[in-house]
Amino acid sequence: MAASKCNVTRLTEALSRQLLDSVDSVLFDCDGVIWRGDQAIPGASEVINSLKKNGKRVFFVTNNSTKTRQMYADKLGKLGFDASADEVFGTAYCSAVYLKNVCKLDGKVYLIGSNAMRQELEDVGIRPVGVGPDPISGGQKDWANVPLDNEVRAVLVGFDEHFSYMKLNRALQYLCYPDCQFVGTNTDTRLPLEGGKAVPGTGCLLKAVETAAQRQAQVVGKPSSFMFECVASQFGLDPERCLMVGDRLDTDIMLGSNCGLKTLLTLTGVSTVAEAEANQKSECPQRQKMVPDYYIESIADILPALQA
Amino acid sequence: MAGAAARGTGCVTLRGAQIRDLLDAKHNVLFDCDGVIWNGETAVTGAPEVVSLLKQRGKRVFFVTNNCTRPRENYVQKFSRLGFTDVAEEEIFSSAYCSAAYLRDVARLQGKVYVIGCGGVMKELRDAGVPVAEEEDAEPGASIYTCPLDPDVKAVLVGYDENFTFMKLAKACCYLRSPECLFLATDPDPWHPLRGGRVTPGSGSLTAALETASSRKATVIGKPSRFMFECISSQFGLDPARSLMIGDRLETDVLFGSNCGLTTVLTLTGVSTLEEALAYRDGQEPQQKDCVPDYVMESVADFLQALEE
Repeated sequence: MAASKCNVTRLTEALSRQLLDSVDSVLFDCDGVIWRGDQAIPGASEVINSLKKNGKRVFFVTNNSTKTRQMYADKLGKLGFDASADEVFGTAYCSAVYLKNVCKLDGKVYLIGSNAMRQELEDVGIRPVGVGPDPISGGQKDWANVPLDNEVRAVLVGFDEHFSYMKLNRALQYLCYPDCQFVGTNTDTRLPLEGGKAVPGTGCLLKAVETAAQRQAQVVGKPSSFMFECVASQFGLDPERCLMVGDRLDTDIMLGSNCGLKTLLTLTGVSTVAEAEANQKSECPQRQKMVPDYYIESIADILPALQA
Repeated sequence: MAGAAARGTGCVTLRGAQIRDLLDAKHNVLFDCDGVIWNGETAVTGAPEVVSLLKQRGKRVFFVTNNCTRPRENYVQKFSRLGFTDVAEEEIFSSAYCSAAYLRDVARLQGKVYVIGCGGVMKELRDAGVPVAEEEDAEPGASIYTCPLDPDVKAVLVGYDENFTFMKLAKACCYLRSPECLFLATDPDPWHPLRGGRVTPGSGSLTAALETASSRKATVIGKPSRFMFECISSQFGLDPARSLMIGDRLETDVLFGSNCGLTTVLTLTGVSTLEEALAYRDGQEPQQKDCVPDYVMESVADFLQALEE
């Protein structure tokens, strides 16, 4: 177990082979792991394609709610990855599944989110309302009395570039009804963009709604185990034979720990080895969950072990 | 007296002679507005008379509100409209006015402030002579890469803003990347009450979004932070031991009073209930004790009998 080591273990070529033999499925985060913005990490596509040739199953698990599974498959294809839509688990798709199967939503959802989220919801038979620009009109007296759709039974918050006070207000009005369910795609504070930049993430929007409504959302994305359960239930995965590869200790690695997966931290994204080691030395049980089994500079470094 | 709650007491219902004794002991009376002296556009019955009588008795009266939507001169008009006579602009301390005062007098801002806020805040900043970064109208197709940042911005101020957008959040976050850039919030209120028990999102919800985006904590000007009391005191010299705070929200007004060493009164004409006050008093958390009011009264009109004698 990671806690018994003095330092976080670097994945050498020998250890790579051992690790790969011990798993059947590899789950990859996307941003900071296989690509940065619209640029693939060098060697990443060779690794994924090689894993598949070696008989491993490969899945993509991302908190990013701005694309549908098909849009991700298209991006993966463009960047040279051999992947299909059903191997992709983004929060747009997983939130729709969550609302349908866990919340057992019977009614509409007020959506603060993208067209991609709208599409994924419609594909599972849930009707969203509210997508798109929603500028303020009227005065303060009018806002508490905005017309509400009485078929709405849930509020779902994801990334929304059209986020506005009016949307925040509408969500609040719906959430004043205790029976209205409250779901968020993820709590990431930054959203990585094409071109390597970043803007405030869904976590900020969700925090605004939670604060106004004084309610906590059910969060679908990593580190919540739902993302893994979604993949596992569709593909019959054994956690002990799965490897989670990610760049963030607080989402990817924590998900792995929560679900009993093996975990590998790659250094092409957000977290550092120093942070992992600090977590390992800490007494806090939550931080202990954010210690990867192994780390690697880039997933491209697995290639020699695969090609051997 | 202040600190009653710390001894496990508090929430004492004020009656008869106690009210007179309390007023005799206090020279300064600080009123919250929404839910205490008015609700929306309706004065709380008896409130105008209470304010008038307190002044006739030689008490100093101040109004301390987290509501940052109006400049002080609009408040003067509202007071007048609702039947409060002789309320002077100098007696009104809103979080908008105090945020401007903070930037000018405490921070001594050299540069501009980027504001997420409404007309009331903008006016107070202009009146205080604090330069505000101009908000250019978003061009179609403008994105976070292309919108220009003003190099003179040295502070970000966030408050209630009905025109809040993702773009404003992103811009403010860019400014806050510089550690020297100050980060202020007008008030922490997560929601504001409207008529009929309805609510609307407050400054606190927008501040929470920006704190999350920037991984920084805002300096909050409004109640329960001490600054508004210090602002009044710097102009009028208040002795906390001789000052009374009357409010309707335990987590802002009463906590503010506790933080400043004032005696606190909860009125039941607004947000918080007696049950909530008792829950804080009887609960286990030490920090909740500061939300326990020394006294509780139904309405500020309860002062009338003592004042009319």
